[in-house]
Amino acid sequence: MKILVPISVVPDTTSKIAFTDGDTKFNEDGIQWIVNPYDEWYALVRALEITEKDGGTVTVISVGDATAEPVIRKALALGATDAVRVDTKPTESYVVAKELANYAKDKGFDLILLGKETISYNGSEVGGMMAEFLGFPFISLASKLDANGGVATLDRSTETGTEVVEVKLPAVISAAKGMAEQRIPNMRGIMAARTKPLTVVPASGVQGKTSTVKFGLPAAKSSLKLVDPENMDELVRLLHEEAKSI
Amino acid sequence: MAKEYVSMRNLRFVLHELFQVEKLTTYQRYADHTKDGFDLMIDSAKQMADTLLHPIYREMDDNEPKMGEDTVHVHPDMRKIMREFGESGWIACQEDYEHGGQRMPATIYGASNFIFHAANTSAASYFGLTGGSADLIGTFGNQELKDTYLAKMYAGEWQGTMALTEPHAGSSLGDITTTATPAGDGSYRIKGQKHFISAGDHDGVDNVVHLMLAKIPGGPAGSKGISLFVVPKKRPVNGELVANDVKTNSFEHKMGMKGCPIAYLIMGENDNCHGWLVGEPHQGLKYMFQMMNGARISVGMMSTALSSAAYYASLQYANERPQGRHVSNKGQDGPMVPIIEYADVKRMLLFQKSIVEGCLSLVMQCSYYEDMIRVTEGEEREKYQMLLDVLTPMCKTYPAEMSLLSTSQGIQVLGGVGYCADFPLQQFYRDTRINPIYEGTTGIQAMDLLGRKVTMKGGKAVMLFGAEMQQTVMQAMQDEKLKPYAEKLGASLQKFSEVTMKLMGLAQTQEPEVFLSDATLYLENAGILCVAWQWLKQAIVVQEKLAAGQSGDELAFYEGKMYAFKYFFEYELPKSIGLVKRLMSDERLTLEMSEAHLN
Repeated sequence: MKILVPISVVPDTTSKIAFTDGDTKFNEDGIQWIVNPYDEWYALVRALEITEKDGGTVTVISVGDATAEPVIRKALALGATDAVRVDTKPTESYVVAKELANYAKDKGFDLILLGKETISYNGSEVGGMMAEFLGFPFISLASKLDANGGVATLDRSTETGTEVVEVKLPAVISAAKGMAEQRIPNMRGIMAARTKPLTVVPASGVQGKTSTVKFGLPAAKSSLKLVDPENMDELVRLLHEEAKSI
Repeated sequence: MAKEYVSMRNLRFVLHELFQVEKLTTYQRYADHTKDGFDLMIDSAKQMADTLLHPIYREMDDNEPKMGEDTVHVHPDMRKIMREFGESGWIACQEDYEHGGQRMPATIYGASNFIFHAANTSAASYFGLTGGSADLIGTFGNQELKDTYLAKMYAGEWQGTMALTEPHAGSSLGDITTTATPAGDGSYRIKGQKHFISAGDHDGVDNVVHLMLAKIPGGPAGSKGISLFVVPKKRPVNGELVANDVKTNSFEHKMGMKGCPIAYLIMGENDNCHGWLVGEPHQGLKYMFQMMNGARISVGMMSTALSSAAYYASLQYANERPQGRHVSNKGQDGPMVPIIEYADVKRMLLFQKSIVEGCLSLVMQCSYYEDMIRVTEGEEREKYQMLLDVLTPMCKTYPAEMSLLSTSQGIQVLGGVGYCADFPLQQFYRDTRINPIYEGTTGIQAMDLLGRKVTMKGGKAVMLFGAEMQQTVMQAMQDEKLKPYAEKLGASLQKFSEVTMKLMGLAQTQEPEVFLSDATLYLENAGILCVAWQWLKQAIVVQEKLAAGQSGDELAFYEGKMYAFKYFFEYELPKSIGLVKRLMSDERLTLEMSEAHLN
């Protein structure tokens, strides 16, 4: 099986988010970058599990400039066979999806497996667009995946239950929580990552179709809320909607 | 449980900006490494700590090990932890490729160790001890010992220990009485008792391999007659593990570090305890000190790690705890303010920050010297060896002693709840209390510094070390903002040099007890100067970064560094004035008085 895993490079979850240029640009000063957790923990790890069991290769691909390379190396340290970097700044989902599809279209991948969304922009757009550009079927939010004999079988978890789906490969599938368990790179993997191929390919010059007018931060959450002891409905609402603990 | 226990930003500062570890890759030993690879290792260490170690830090304290029929039952996760750290290559990481290692630099290992111990110092001790004792077999053992033990130890299947102390002989190892009698078959029969053996027996592994000191009958008296042996709990015989007459009599109930049992072992009750000599007879103490010196640097790191965990826990609390209002709020109305806004709380936090980041830098300086010893030859290598030898007592002791005060200040920030078991501060305080005691007490380190290191090679080593510090002072003098601080350190070094000359004069004219009587204060003074030196080194780098222009969190990071640097020079360095005064005094209270005056 020949699997392509697109990965996004996103700010570390502990990063403080700030904007510049009249709130139109994300301030990257001092930001630590990581592999998008949905791409790494679920898509990449499941791709590795499938090829470790049945043989094959896992290629990771990312659209980004040279600063993305240390993060891409982590995917190689986890066990990916090789990596590709499409050399351009990822400005919007359309550009990313089109650049990824342009690279993948004649490479004979059986499966394209990526995270359900990025933790930075939460667009959930790249997988669907990429499938359209390639003419592949697209199945989103897979929480379980088996692939053999040219067919993938997967579970989609929805709010009302589980849907089991079968799809003929090649296909694009987005991975959600539950598909695999996070791995930590081991020493041998980290040392091997240095010499694994990381190919830089020029971007095909896709132009974006949107532009960001303004970013804004969510309203700051108060650390303490006092609820009238007589108002249990409000307490239940806060626990359900804000604390998400019930 | 506090959210954070280390600052990864500060670790990156220390590794890349202060020590520029990437330069190590220019040496052949480390040529297979890259800066990105170092970062991956550190990030992996943090992930291992976050997922395996930190979640059970409190559980391991709450549920002490229990004595079973033939082993000590420890936290059930320890088996998984040992395997994971073995299989992922952490236990062997510093070794050569042929031993399954990856030649990880000591600097990177030190940074990883800092993370592991800050996350869960009890759990980290198990695999740290195993790596150190396996390294001893790899360095001095014969091929048969290496073939028999190394793979299992590096895989985390077998525990390694350091078995030195006996009930009547801890600091005075020359007095040990455990014997090793040649059995005629290449092995020895071991008979005796060992006390305080960390991870000395437990069910998280399939076997325990003791690196044990014992005396071969007829050998030289005292410490010159000590040999080193491999003494397994179960000895491999034709592919099977059979009991080796090593009995765990009991284990101690400790104040802290409760997750890692310290065993009382009895060997040879049935005259059937087999041991195998490591290296040459009567060289045991010399061999063991290879591991011991590394262990002393590790204690400095462990102490700093616990200070770090306490700092971030108390910082989190200070940010979240509203209490009272500013004195300037005359009406005392409006909402209460978080306690971090009060100057005295800031002082306590700044004290902790200056200790954590100053001591981390000091310990990493030792690790850097270790790396330079590994990659250089001849005179250059000898230079780094002397620098490491001189710095080791300060590296072990200052972070350990200050960790007591630093974690205590962490409790103070929390107030009453800091004293309660619901918050982790009391655990950090209890866990770190052992650090000034084991691997050579503060008193032993002080005698090592003043009685041995200062006079080593005719004083050449200590002069070399002084020159290193002076070089930093001279560099800082070039920066107008740092010049006043450089002058302060320069003056303190001058005073310390005068103290050293006076004590050396006493050594030549009087009994050794006289010049060693206040060795602990001498060591304390040296520790303060060493951390001031490290802070000045950091400040030089920080000034360059600030001059280059910073904003947002990065600006706050570098400015925070400057505040901690200044705090150390304004609040801690002046303590050396009092120490110098005492050390220059001819009053000899502790020598003049008799035991009767204390009874």
